Amino acid sequence: MATEATFRPGTFVDEGGLRSEEMILNMGPQHPSTHGVLRLVLTLDGETVINCTPVIGYLHRGMEKIFENRPYMGGIRYIDNADYLSPMLNEIVYAMATEQLMGIEPPRRAQYIRLIVGELERIASHLVAIGTYGLDLGATTPVVWCFRDRELILDMFESLSGHRFTHNYMRVGGVMFDFPKGWIQNCEKWLDVFEKKSLPDLEGLLTGNEIFEARTEGVGYIDPQQAVAYGLTGPLLRASGVNFDVRVARPYGAYREIAVIPQIRQEGDCFARYRVKMDEMRECVRLIRTALDRLPGGSICQRTPIALRPQRGETYASVESARGEESIYMISDGSEYPYRAKLRGPSFTNLQILPELLRGNKIGDVIAILGSIDIVLGDVDR
Amino acid sequence: MNDLLTNDVFLTVVHFFVTFLFALGFLSVAAMLLVYLERKTQGYAQDRYGPLHYGPAGIYLAIIDPLKLFLKEDVKSGQTDSIMFRLAPAIFFAPVITAFVVLPFSPYLTAGAIGTGIILYVALSSIDVLGIFMAGWGSNNKYSLIGGLRSTAQMISYELPLVLSIVGVVMVTSVLAPGCTSSLSTLSHCGIGSISFSDIVHAQMQPGAPWYWFVLAQPLGLVLYYICGLAETNRSPFDLPEAESELVAGYLTEYSGLRWAMFFLGEYGNMTIVSAVSTALFLGGWSGPGASLGLWQGIIGHTGFAGFAAQVIFNAFAAFWFIFKMGILLLVFLWIRATLPRLRADQLMRFCWLFLIPLTLFNIVITAFLLLLPIGLVAQLVVTGVVNLAMLLFVVFALRRLTGVSATGRLPRWAQQRVVVSATNGANARANAGQQAALSAPADREATPAGRG
Repeated sequence: MATEATFRPGTFVDEGGLRSEEMILNMGPQHPSTHGVLRLVLTLDGETVINCTPVIGYLHRGMEKIFENRPYMGGIRYIDNADYLSPMLNEIVYAMATEQLMGIEPPRRAQYIRLIVGELERIASHLVAIGTYGLDLGATTPVVWCFRDRELILDMFESLSGHRFTHNYMRVGGVMFDFPKGWIQNCEKWLDVFEKKSLPDLEGLLTGNEIFEARTEGVGYIDPQQAVAYGLTGPLLRASGVNFDVRVARPYGAYREIAVIPQIRQEGDCFARYRVKMDEMRECVRLIRTALDRLPGGSICQRTPIALRPQRGETYASVESARGEESIYMISDGSEYPYRAKLRGPSFTNLQILPELLRGNKIGDVIAILGSIDIVLGDVDR
Repeated sequence: MNDLLTNDVFLTVVHFFVTFLFALGFLSVAAMLLVYLERKTQGYAQDRYGPLHYGPAGIYLAIIDPLKLFLKEDVKSGQTDSIMFRLAPAIFFAPVITAFVVLPFSPYLTAGAIGTGIILYVALSSIDVLGIFMAGWGSNNKYSLIGGLRSTAQMISYELPLVLSIVGVVMVTSVLAPGCTSSLSTLSHCGIGSISFSDIVHAQMQPGAPWYWFVLAQPLGLVLYYICGLAETNRSPFDLPEAESELVAGYLTEYSGLRWAMFFLGEYGNMTIVSAVSTALFLGGWSGPGASLGLWQGIIGHTGFAGFAAQVIFNAFAAFWFIFKMGILLLVFLWIRATLPRLRADQLMRFCWLFLIPLTLFNIVITAFLLLLPIGLVAQLVVTGVVNLAMLLFVVFALRRLTGVSATGRLPRWAQQRVVVSATNGANARANAGQQAALSAPADREATPAGRG
């Protein structure tokens, strides 16, 4: 963690002998719009940001160490809390890594269920991202509309897994429960309402809004080379015109059968990032519909031994989470516990570009840019 | 005792206290109701209920909320500039009460019918900024300081278009002055116009045309005034000084309890005043069905108690219409809050200096030119109204993209060449091919450990 001595404000004397001083502003960790407990040490010249140092670690829970002390199956419950806005997608990547170590493949129905819940989770996560982004920019209504729709997704997850938030639904070799009775009809009904009513409402409130455009267009531009150089993934990368989506580049599970159309925009600014998320939600709806139509029958979980003891070896599994490439590098030493499970959180990687983007912008844009990067501190600190 | 009742000094003092108590009481009740209404409106806009439990539809909350603030501890951190910190709420709040003096609720409910009402109102509304700046400085908090600085810049800048947008109305009153055209007796000068609220309200109730509200002559003026009013009262979308998502609570960050309540009361009081001034200047003040003294005197009688009753009923109607119109405008405040995001500080200033001020000046020039045309009073007013409405529509529909220019300094959307990118490319084509194959074999790259042994 950076020491206080690092943040000494500079002092300048102009020709007239007038002394001016830079101001150090500690934004966070308790700040309404740093999306959790991020602390930004901003060096300000008036309202202009000269430098920004993100200080992280306030939500560090030693997650990777916890994995090493839990049986393989036990880690799924903990990885829920990593990117706490998309727990299902986290679970999928953990289950996939373990399956790769075990050398097993989940049944086809389980893969489809994983796709469906994963895409629902992506919608839920993007809804939070867009809603809170509106709130960051001062619009109070979108966040409530977004959470209203997200509630219904959480209701569906509750009826499916028993938990609203940290689902603990994935299993090594499949999923825990099959769809309960009426779940599919309920889901289809929700998709209709969401696509016909909620999304256009949200677009009407934000997309065409003059002030929203003025706040986001041309703000926080990332060019494609820069984006690749910083290792950005997810909507952030695709908004800069780089076509990379793990679901397309390295298809896994049911994505090998259902094609994803990656949503790309060229502008690379905050508005493009917002639009990519909106477009992705439409794409998610299409994917879920396709998957529900083609949902195969059969078992939902491969039979596995009670104590999982994979062979010695190492593997790397990655999924396209709502924020980018979420992946696990897992080493097995042949025991019941992973020898090492390294989690690559997309938020952590995406956050690195923040100081670069903030330099020279105004304080108001700090929030606009930070919101558009869409970090989850649970995923940054782990 | 009789001496006392005829003593002018005593009566002035009594009048002062009555006026003060009326203003404070009205302001407090209005603020309490507004807070409740704001919650309800926001709830309605956001697909939820808002206050619900205490009293019918949660109305008791309007009383409980201020009570809670009274009971809260008055926290003051040790490093604040004590005098500034304590004076700031009072300096913010005092002009708000004072400004109520000039508002004509009804012909007899005007606390002080000053001949220079508009000037007084404008002067008082620019004192507010002192309070906010003192709060920002005295709190010794960086968020407060930035909020206070933002607010100073914003409120001083928006004073200009606020005043300039009223000038159009004053000009219209000049052609309606009695010596020039009609036999209206309340306006005393011909060709000069009036800056007294009561006179302007009277000017909107010509004997020939009781419904000639100045919003018909100056629709653009109303819209501009209202926008500047939003900025003046630090309301969304111009609520930068207290931008919650950026500056925690801006200049309010260090305040709590009753001091905070005074700022809050002052803000809602400012909203009320802006709405009241818009009503008086543009929406005909207290004119409306039933608000006519002649009507009630005709029904009840002219003399004695009957005459008094007629006066009372007439004034009740007048006050009702004034407060009703004011309430509608206040609801627009709340509606805007529920709809719009917030501008950035530099965009806000650009919007004021590059868009609002030129537009208000242009409006003044055009209005002056039209009112000088030798085409008779009615034609003048009609032409003014039509031209002003055309300007408003032009601003809303044709120039709305240009507001983007003024705000961001970039080309408007329609002038930019947008690159439309096809999402289909190599990777996607590969995925599509995969879609065609019904069930691919378990992909070896996925299902096996990368390096075994």
